[in-house]
Amino acid sequence: MKKALVLMALALIAVVFIYAIGKMPPMNGKDTPDKTHVVPRYLEKGEEEAGARNIITGIILNYRGYDTMGETTVIFSALAAVIALLDREKRRRSRSSVDASKVETSTVVRTVARFVLPVVVLFAVYTILHGEPSAGGGFQGGAIIGASIIIFALVWGLPEATDRMPLGARLPLESSAMLAFLAMGVIGLAYGVHFLTFILPGLSAGVAETVRSLMLTVIEAGIGVGGGIIFVSIVFAMMREDRYELQQDRK
Amino acid sequence: MSTALSVILLLFLVTTAAVAIKLKDLLAAVIVFSAYSLMMAILWTQLRAPDLALTEAAVGAGITTVLFVVTIFKTARREDD
Repeated sequence: MKKALVLMALALIAVVFIYAIGKMPPMNGKDTPDKTHVVPRYLEKGEEEAGARNIITGIILNYRGYDTMGETTVIFSALAAVIALLDREKRRRSRSSVDASKVETSTVVRTVARFVLPVVVLFAVYTILHGEPSAGGGFQGGAIIGASIIIFALVWGLPEATDRMPLGARLPLESSAMLAFLAMGVIGLAYGVHFLTFILPGLSAGVAETVRSLMLTVIEAGIGVGGGIIFVSIVFAMMREDRYELQQDRK
Repeated sequence: MSTALSVILLLFLVTTAAVAIKLKDLLAAVIVFSAYSLMMAILWTQLRAPDLALTEAAVGAGITTVLFVVTIFKTARREDD
């Protein structure tokens, strides 16, 4: 009975989807809406309207700026949900079950991590700062930064990682993605133009160019740092185990 | 050449997706799923979307894998029938 209901629901969804696909404009068609006005507009006016040399960055931070700003709140609420369930660490050096294990990390893993991690962090910084003129950007760079800190936590243990990235340092940075976006968006309002305008009126060409580049970099860096730190906080909260923390206390 | 590569990658993609669902060992399923993300990242570059490829490689293959592995360590490794 239950199975028949599930199958009926799935069949209904399938019919709706197939009907919707039939109504979609053909792929690679010459006169579909995206080819006739969306893409030409972005390609022709993207640089002067959105203010980014890379058209993808222009779309993400300007044309679809509200969407990206919403995404920064999405990752922030993911952190909020994890913290609501698992709580913050209670002391500076947290421990996980992995740290309680008697097996030590092998020298090979330690040495490789020692040589690779600086390069990974350098690449993350490049991805964030170079996100405006080329592929990449805050989210990607932030994910790479977060991943490098997780590798550190896996190789040298959670106590060492939580000691180097203490709660006090992470707390103010977690909201930086949203705050950087809002702060840069409001500058446009102060100049009497739209929210999230990067090319400000009433400035000489050189100054406007510098301001535009700086604003985009601040947003990318904010998203990068905020996203990376949020990811680190989520993983720390998931790895930490209270019973090992208490054991450590008794020592 | 590029079409042949795309076809091979797409076949791998479908295979890894099916295997990830079927596997009862969740750790193995997570590893297969990260292989799926890696295939997807290469396919995004084939479709000339380098931004998406970077995101897929960093978030899909990297971050989700870490989150899944940590979750498996804290819960059970095998799926119940």
